[in-house]
Amino acid sequence: MVNEYVYCPRLCYIEWVQGEFKDSADTVEGRLGHKRVDRPGTSVQEDAMDGTVIHSRSVTIGSTNLGAIAKIDLLEIEGEVATPVDYKKGKMPDNEFNAYLPEMVQLCVQGLLLIENGFKTTGGVIYYIASKKRVTISFTKELIDKTKEALASMKNMIDEDRPPPPLVDSPRCYGCSLASICLPDETNAMKGVGEEIRRLYPSRDDQTPIYVIGEGHSIRKSEGRIEIWKEGEMVADRPLNDISQLSVYGSANITIPAMVELMGRGVPIGFFSHSGWFNGYAIGTFNKNIGLRMAQFKTGFDGTLSNNIAKMMIYGKIKNCRTLLRRNDKECPSESLETLDLLAERCLESKDNNSLLGIEGAAAQIYFSRFNNMLKSNCPFDFNERNKRPAGDPVNAALSYSYGMLVKDVFNCLLLVGFDPYFGVYHRPKHGKPALALDLMEEFRPIIADSIVMTAFNNGELKESDFIITKIGTSFSQNGKKKLIAAYERRINTEVTHPVFGYTVSYRRIIEVQARLLGRAMTREIDSYQPFLTR
Amino acid sequence: MGGLTFYLVSYDIKDEKRLRNVHRIMREFGVRLHYSVFRCDLTKQGKMILISKLEEVINHDADRIMIVDLGPSRQYDEMKIEFIGQKPEENYVNSIIV
Repeated sequence: MVNEYVYCPRLCYIEWVQGEFKDSADTVEGRLGHKRVDRPGTSVQEDAMDGTVIHSRSVTIGSTNLGAIAKIDLLEIEGEVATPVDYKKGKMPDNEFNAYLPEMVQLCVQGLLLIENGFKTTGGVIYYIASKKRVTISFTKELIDKTKEALASMKNMIDEDRPPPPLVDSPRCYGCSLASICLPDETNAMKGVGEEIRRLYPSRDDQTPIYVIGEGHSIRKSEGRIEIWKEGEMVADRPLNDISQLSVYGSANITIPAMVELMGRGVPIGFFSHSGWFNGYAIGTFNKNIGLRMAQFKTGFDGTLSNNIAKMMIYGKIKNCRTLLRRNDKECPSESLETLDLLAERCLESKDNNSLLGIEGAAAQIYFSRFNNMLKSNCPFDFNERNKRPAGDPVNAALSYSYGMLVKDVFNCLLLVGFDPYFGVYHRPKHGKPALALDLMEEFRPIIADSIVMTAFNNGELKESDFIITKIGTSFSQNGKKKLIAAYERRINTEVTHPVFGYTVSYRRIIEVQARLLGRAMTREIDSYQPFLTR
Repeated sequence: MGGLTFYLVSYDIKDEKRLRNVHRIMREFGVRLHYSVFRCDLTKQGKMILISKLEEVINHDADRIMIVDLGPSRQYDEMKIEFIGQKPEENYVNSIIV
């Protein structure tokens, strides 16, 4: 960890204190390179004699005095002299020492530990796997001082309840596997530090979500794939590696091996009722970042802190509703748009969540009163008012169903980031509602869910035959559900330009970024939560 | 654009048991185009994991696996690969809905 600390203190904090880890090609390769040297063994043992030199692999050594432990890849002992050898996957760097500082410090810690344990150690060796070269590093006073300093300041950092600030515009972020968790440039921008914001992670998910809607499906695992069978026939299959999430609507069967495999891979499995009601999740182990959850609860219990975040979310929602109306309702009276603007501004002045509820209600009334005008004349349905349980008309049924999908993705995302989705800052933690998911979803409701419903009706994708309309309510036919899900997936994978950060990413990624920024606002790393506003 | 690369992976495995193991691993990562030829769309780390898994099961003195890098996924696919006769089923989709 000293290596990471010297590379970037924040990286060290996120990995070590918050318990987050993410693989990159580099970390996977590093681990593979180590496979050859690592083997179980905790103390010095004779692995090979080479003349008078004892070679011992994977030696764990510690010292309470130094307050550190280290695992030495290879220890060469000749009489009283011990030399630690560290394996590095890469090529030998072409600089003064033929080594990078973090690696030299890491090696020096091993050296100090050996000295503490009674060996005579004056230097160590770094072996570069790619170059097949050994480089001797001597433990000069300068290096030892740097190492002791790093150990001391690292101990101070661990006691902090907030991670150290991100590096500013550092080239180190490019190779860092935690860039999408750390959000260095985004966090700096929110704090008013740094200029250019680099997109340091892929713009969208490369994996595929699976939705199982129909009756009588069974989901199994077979030879590295998930297969979906119906009536003795395989209807779909996918390599395990390619799956981002599995959503089961209604009563499909899933085998335990399939479930365990997906859990082990961190793929969430969501269960929904036929009508799209979100029943629950099967997930693997819980995110370890307890510090974030503590900050979340602290914020939630504090009326002012939670109002500070909630008002930004509702501000975002009203602004985005306004944008959707302005774009799609050509006859929308300018007073309506102005009132929405006014209400949004009033959110920012609100002092508690009760007043916010009133503002949100007033805005929703204006917005939904114009919703029907956003549907084109060729749409066979009318929308009069928002209603649910049961939805009175196809438009309401479609809205409810897509909110269900959006909750699922936001919920997913919150779990991934390390939140408890059931405790929010605005929605009350009652009736098993995923309150924080509903909170974070507010700003995305109009631009994702409402937008796909409107589009699906306007372009004729959803027709009368896709609904089952009865006197007591309206529900979807199987076919209708599939069409709406397809429309939703298209939308959420759409890449848009982030209005603040300026780079292009998919909506799904934006939700993740917003969730992480929400965390920053709760841990008070940034001053306020900024909602995602579309132009 | 995502971060995937299109790799063509083909293998010659001299032993039946190892062949089954390699086939099982390949199915985890990609789609079969031919007997013992797979299409894999992988991130860089996905490729590293695939290689490490394969390295564990093959006999390095007898078997051979070839990995061809065909550039970014789903771009100019028709220029990269042509089929004569039966085309394999194209099952690339953004989402699976059944």
